[in-house]
Amino acid sequence: MKHVDELHAVELQVWEALARVRDPEIPPISITDLGIVERVSVTDSSVDVDLLPTFAGCPALDVIRKDVLGSVGEVAGNRQAAVRFVYSPPWTSDRITPAGREALRSYGLTPPSGSGPVFVPLAGLERRESGATCPFCGSDDTVLESAFGPTLCRSTHFCRACRNPFEAFKPKLQG
Amino acid sequence: MHDDPRTNLLLSLADDELILGHRHSEWTGWAPHIEEDLAFSSIAQDEMAHARLLYELVGGDLDTLALGRKPEEYRNAVLCERPNGDWGYSVARQYLYDTADAVRLDALARSSWKEVADIVGVIRLEEKYHVDHAEAWFRRLATGLMEARQRFADGLSRALSDAVALFEPLPGEDELVKDGVLPESNEDLLARWLEQLGAALEEVSLDYVFEHHGPRGGEMVPTSSGEIEAESDELEVPGIVRRDGRWVHEGGFGGAGGRHGRHSEDFEPLWEEMTKLYRDHPGASW
Repeated sequence: MKHVDELHAVELQVWEALARVRDPEIPPISITDLGIVERVSVTDSSVDVDLLPTFAGCPALDVIRKDVLGSVGEVAGNRQAAVRFVYSPPWTSDRITPAGREALRSYGLTPPSGSGPVFVPLAGLERRESGATCPFCGSDDTVLESAFGPTLCRSTHFCRACRNPFEAFKPKLQG
Repeated sequence: MHDDPRTNLLLSLADDELILGHRHSEWTGWAPHIEEDLAFSSIAQDEMAHARLLYELVGGDLDTLALGRKPEEYRNAVLCERPNGDWGYSVARQYLYDTADAVRLDALARSSWKEVADIVGVIRLEEKYHVDHAEAWFRRLATGLMEARQRFADGLSRALSDAVALFEPLPGEDELVKDGVLPESNEDLLARWLEQLGAALEEVSLDYVFEHHGPRGGEMVPTSSGEIEAESDELEVPGIVRRDGRWVHEGGFGGAGGRHGRHSEDFEPLWEEMTKLYRDHPGASW
């Protein structure tokens, strides 16, 4: 029993270490709030972390892997730490926690829309009502400029109320 | 080199994404406006990442797979290697490719090969944005002013028979279908795609591109003895006919060969450029 408690304590420390790792492209959000940590497994000799990539082509993945190894290494003791990217289940944007959504907003990035299995189609050719709330003034009177933006996970919008351009984290949902 | 049917399947999917991704990336900085620079660049980045996921399943060194093969060892469909041409062709090709890819991915999401099904689950969520982009341009150009509509129709005409060959049967396909790795044959996937495509084109009265393929009658082309009227002899997409009010495939392909490593004259220049750094500086990392 004591042994199980010890492994459990290390596992908690690993989760805390993971919560200190930031998304390098969106520094206010941790990778745990982003919902990309799928599994942590601790044994006497190893710490294994399974991560779900948000977008397959995200260039931050290699940085995240390195940062996770560094942060987990500090609490792993003599255990060998390893990071694996896995693809099941696919990461979806409803895995972002409420704290994570607040962190996105604080960075001027509208959290992904949609709370259920709904895909919000995006393409800016027709300046559709975007369904995104302006992160600066809170207005919903916004239009979509483009489904694409400075990173794979962002779309670009315009707020008709405060007349600011802004970006949103793209919804990525099943269904 | 790649006789295993499963490897053939992975390479055909991955090479399609890599090679078309390379073509899309050529729009970076040159698209009609900045949103489209971003769109085509982002789509290219997605496609190359999808290629990487599939190459990882093949196994071995990723750079060697992506950049270290001889031209005849690539399994992409000829459609993907064609030069970008004008905006009408680029958008028409992206529409045809991504709608066809969606049909193929819907089937592969049910693959008995779990690793493939998992990866396809991830890829599909990202491809939705590509289809959405293509459909938005489809609506804009097909219902746009005369020149936009004409150039889009010309693009569709030029791309169509190459696009049909995306569904050229794979070497060893019977085994893949029997094992449930490829839950439906390419012939069945092609039938479904043609039904969807036919309906979309009929809605905007562009289904004539199925019949009116190749040079337009009455078009004047220069020759050594002056201008003459172009022959409009190729008036249909090879293998495609209309039966009982529907467009169906009755066998044969126009732009086929890619799945067996037989490419068009457009492939080698692309390959030269894409692999140059890898060939000139073996082992370089970036």
